Amino acid sequence: MAGHSDSSSSEKKSSEAMNDVPTFSTENMQNNMKVIYYSRTFMSIIGGVIAGILGFTGFMGFIFYFLVMANTSIGLIAKAKFSVHLYFDSWNRIILDGFMGGLMSFVLFWTFAYDIVHIF
Amino acid sequence: MAEDLVLDTAIRDWVLIPLSVVMVLIGILRYFVSKLMRSFQVPDPKIVKEGHIHLFSSFTFRQVIVRARNLRGAANFIPPKSFRSRRVYFSNEKNLSMIIPQTLTFAWVNFFFSGFVAAKIPFPLTQRFRSMLQNGIDLSTVDVSYVSSRSWYFLNLFGLRGLFSLILGEENAMDDTQRMMQMGGFGFDPSKSLTAEKDGLDIVQHEWALPKFEHRAEAVLKKLVS
Repeated sequence: MAGHSDSSSSEKKSSEAMNDVPTFSTENMQNNMKVIYYSRTFMSIIGGVIAGILGFTGFMGFIFYFLVMANTSIGLIAKAKFSVHLYFDSWNRIILDGFMGGLMSFVLFWTFAYDIVHIF
Repeated sequence: MAEDLVLDTAIRDWVLIPLSVVMVLIGILRYFVSKLMRSFQVPDPKIVKEGHIHLFSSFTFRQVIVRARNLRGAANFIPPKSFRSRRVYFSNEKNLSMIIPQTLTFAWVNFFFSGFVAAKIPFPLTQRFRSMLQNGIDLSTVDVSYVSSRSWYFLNLFGLRGLFSLILGEENAMDDTQRMMQMGGFGFDPSKSLTAEKDGLDIVQHEWALPKFEHRAEAVLKKLVS
C-alpha cells in the first residue's frame, strides 16, 4: 500500500487510486487521524483557558471555539499542502473530526479558568 | 436576575481543584494498571469467567474497547465464525468492566460534595437543566449557571478524556458516540456508551471480503502484465 512519510511532518500519504476498491494504508490513515485529534484537543484546551481568562460568556465563548476550530482546520489543511485527498479519505475528516470531543474539553477549561479568574 | 454571586475561595481550593486532580490521577492509575494487566494476559479471562465483579477486572475495559473497535474496523477481513464468537465475547465483557470506577467516583462526589454551589458555568442554560445541574441546591431563584459539584464531576468526566489522550500518548479508549453528546440523561451515561458500542458491533454487517480479494489480485496482476 502506498505509504511514504513526509520528511518534516508526521502526516503520511495514505491513498492509492489504482484499484476499483480504494484501499488505504490503514496505519498511515490512523496516524493522520491521531495528528488531527491531538491538534484539535490541544487547541481546544488552550482556547478554553484563553476564553475563560478573557471573560467570554455565553454565545461569545462558543463563537470563539468555532474560530479556534476553524483556525486549526486551516492550519491542518496548510500542513497537508492543500492536497487533502492524498492524506485523508474525505474532506469531512479534516474539518469535522474531533469537533465534539474538543468541545467538551473546551467547556471544561473555559469553566475552570472563568471561575478561577472571575468568580473566586 | 444576573447578580454575580461571590463564592468562597475555599470552594475553589477544596472542591474544584481536588476533584479534577483526583480524576486525573485515577485516569493515570487506570492507564498504568491496564498496561500491567496486558503483560499478565492469562489472568484476565479467568477473572471474567468466574464472574466476580472484582475491582481489577474493571481495569481491562480499555483494552476491551480498543480491541472491540479494531474488530469493528477490520470485521470484513476475518471469517464469519470467528467474527461472531469475538463479538459475543466483547458484548459480555464490556458490560461488566467499565461502570465500576465511574460509579465509585460518582458516589464519592455525591457523598462529600453536595449541598452547595460549586462553580459557575460561563454560558446560560434553560430552566429545564436546573434539576439536573443543581441537585443539591434547594433554592429555585439561583441562576441556573451556578451548578453543584455533581455537574463539575460530569464536566470533568468528559473534558479530561482529551487531556488523557495528550499526556498518556495513546487514545485510551474512552470511546463515546454521538449519543453521549446529548445533554440529557446524565446519570446514565457509562452504560449508554457501552450499549452504543454494543449496538455498533451489532450493526456491522459482516461481508467477508476475502473471496473478492482473489478477483482483485487477478485484475491487478493482469494490469501489470499487459
